[in-house]
Amino acid sequence: MKQFVFFSEIHGRAVLDTQGRPIGRLDDLKVRLGELFPKVTSVVLKKDRRPKHWALAWDETEALNEGPIKLKPGAEDRITTLEVGAAELLLRADLLDKQVVDTFDAKIERVNDVHLLIVDHELRLVHIDFGLRGLLRRLGWLKPVDSFTNWLFAYSLPEKLISWKYIQPLAADLKSRLKLNVTMRKLHEIHPSDLADILEELDQAHRSSVFQSLDLETAAETLQEVDPKIQLSLIESTTEERASDILEQMEPDEARDFLAELPEEKKLKLMGNLGQSRREDVEELLRYKEGTAGSIMTKDFIALPRDATISLAVDAFKKVFHPLESVAYIYVTDDAEHLVGVITVRHLVTCDRQETLGGLMNPHVIRVNIEDDIDRVADIFNKYKFLALPIVDTDNIIQGIITLQDIVEDRAKEL
Amino acid sequence: MAIRTILKQRWKGLLLFLAVAGPGIITSNVDNDAGGIATYSMAGSFYGYSLLWSLLPIMVALIIIQEMSARMGAVTNKGLSDLIREHFGVKVTVYLLIGVVLTNFGNVIAEFAGIASSLGIFHVSKYASVPISALLVWLLVVKGSYRSVEKIFLYACLFYVTYVVSGLLARPDWGEIGRSLVRPHFDLSSGHLGMIIGLVGTTIAPWMQFYLQASVVEKNILAKDYKHSRLDVIIGSFIVTIIAGFIVLTCGATLFKAGVRVETAADAALALKPLAGKYCSALFAFGLLNASLFAASILPLSTAFLVCEGLGWEDGVNKKFSEAPQFYGLYSLLILFGAGVVLLPRIPLFSVMYVSQIINGIVLPVILIFMLILVNNKKLMGRYTNKRGYNIISYVTVAVLGILTIAYIFTLIVH
Repeated sequence: MKQFVFFSEIHGRAVLDTQGRPIGRLDDLKVRLGELFPKVTSVVLKKDRRPKHWALAWDETEALNEGPIKLKPGAEDRITTLEVGAAELLLRADLLDKQVVDTFDAKIERVNDVHLLIVDHELRLVHIDFGLRGLLRRLGWLKPVDSFTNWLFAYSLPEKLISWKYIQPLAADLKSRLKLNVTMRKLHEIHPSDLADILEELDQAHRSSVFQSLDLETAAETLQEVDPKIQLSLIESTTEERASDILEQMEPDEARDFLAELPEEKKLKLMGNLGQSRREDVEELLRYKEGTAGSIMTKDFIALPRDATISLAVDAFKKVFHPLESVAYIYVTDDAEHLVGVITVRHLVTCDRQETLGGLMNPHVIRVNIEDDIDRVADIFNKYKFLALPIVDTDNIIQGIITLQDIVEDRAKEL
Repeated sequence: MAIRTILKQRWKGLLLFLAVAGPGIITSNVDNDAGGIATYSMAGSFYGYSLLWSLLPIMVALIIIQEMSARMGAVTNKGLSDLIREHFGVKVTVYLLIGVVLTNFGNVIAEFAGIASSLGIFHVSKYASVPISALLVWLLVVKGSYRSVEKIFLYACLFYVTYVVSGLLARPDWGEIGRSLVRPHFDLSSGHLGMIIGLVGTTIAPWMQFYLQASVVEKNILAKDYKHSRLDVIIGSFIVTIIAGFIVLTCGATLFKAGVRVETAADAALALKPLAGKYCSALFAFGLLNASLFAASILPLSTAFLVCEGLGWEDGVNKKFSEAPQFYGLYSLLILFGAGVVLLPRIPLFSVMYVSQIINGIVLPVILIFMLILVNNKKLMGRYTNKRGYNIISYVTVAVLGILTIAYIFTLIVH
């Protein structure tokens, strides 16, 4: 008794009743999702020259072996028309030849065959075959090719099976969104930039259904990574409420870049739904022309007056959750909020808590004007190896910072 | 104010059109490749104006078929081989792809034959010109510089205008042309049948359908912006037909009148004599070289893409060789063998170009049937399935081509 069987090996086998009369052919298998390795619940029959599909519980068949599939006594009376529920999947119709997401390698693959485990009388879906062997098996060329390569090179093509637990099927029927929500959880294990590559490879319908199923944070991070053309189509297939929620999750400078690519009307609508403070931040950033320092700066920075103590600075540092490079420097301002100096985070750790920032600061701050060209900013980063640069307006009042990360992203876009 | 808004909307509409304009017009220009120029030149020089009429029904069919490709691309966001795999399963896909690869291979050979014969005019040996251009084409794509060169190829397509000018300068008998359009001449000789199949096959090449649909998907054109793409496809189809018509007409007015039957590039170049005088050979050689190089850089690439897409292999020019071995392997083999065949001693270059187009014409109805089944699938296309008129014209095209092919093969056997 074999322990594993490929779907292609049992597809098309005759189904016989207890007297050995043919009832039809095995056309498909239905599995119920939810368990780690889903169980085959029904066998789908096709009767000759009749387009309709019939289903029968898998329990109604005798143990699987090489020959035709035999039914238990009286089973033929319990054949019903095929119905597929929300958490069910048809192996042939929904999986075979379709694209699935391989969350292990973070890429899209095409299903060549399905590998089933036989435990007692149960059949369980354990592996998906993406390999050349699966392709050849389906074509009926596997045996000749195997004996040829064995004879000539003493070599067999390797199997390429991936465990079902890493597979994310894409819904067959996109109208039933429910099905997606049940199973899409695995996608969150993929890094957003890989997820963005995957989204770019999918077609429009699958793309938006995958995107809808992501949580807000993942959706926001993924959205920033995809091609602008795809960004637009994704956001258009999202409800405005959700779109604004996603926007809230983005860093203001990222949100600004994203909004700048959108048509005017859509942009205003989305901004209208944003919270007050976030909207003001984004509006300000949008005022700066494309290609200027202001357009890519972020508002996430710490600026304190010169008479503040180190211990105050440490408190300020503890309160914010900005990315590390944004708080690598603490900027020091005078009474009129002019930028007068900078200290590094290292000071917070090494210096006496009672000392004032004014005493410790480095008064020679390299700064960039908000209207300056991004090229100039990049040159400064290249020359001084800073993690972040302060951005000031014409009155020398600090308006934001540009981090190394911001400039890398901006340059990468131009490549 | 009102006028300004209208103007603004018009302007926006135009911009949007320019943004999605491309796939149709580019495909059309690639369509006038070495095989095309050879076939049209031969048609004019062998049969004068008597086959001009056939270009009118060919244009109608071209518009209808290209429109279907573009529509499928915009609605499903998937390539043609992708759809065939998901809808018809692996067996049909593999055998169909083998046929398509062989057909496209014929066209690749034709492109290199075009390169060999165009540079032959300048007395460059094919043993130098073909390997060098093969390497050039290969590098162009592998190094990813194709996009920047595409525009140069496109501008160089203005060369076709020389046929229009030369045709007008040759003072053709417009009365005779009018009569041949109104009263089509048709006979059942094998040469005549083969030429008509060749004209169809070169104007509506099977590879174009895959390429156009892939380009529409790549540009991420959405179903709702699709009407701009339709315009793009129609304009492209018009351009192809007008150029084809003028090549046939010019060759009819010059070569056919002078009793020259095109067998080499030097013969075909004489058609440009009314315009360019003794420089006609150089002008023709330049045009043929551009057309051949343009198509030679697209055809192997588009073939590799469609195969990998259908079989679920990694593809894309931004991948490393080790990531997408099948993609690069197939692409390289097509160029290597395509160029290799042309290097065979004493191979009749123009016949090679012509025969490849006849094969196109024979394969076309098969591809069309697949396209028609897919485009009429409600589940796939929703409300964008074919209108009845489309289906009638398409099925008539399939039937006519089928009958022509059978008649052609019959006459070949009888002789």
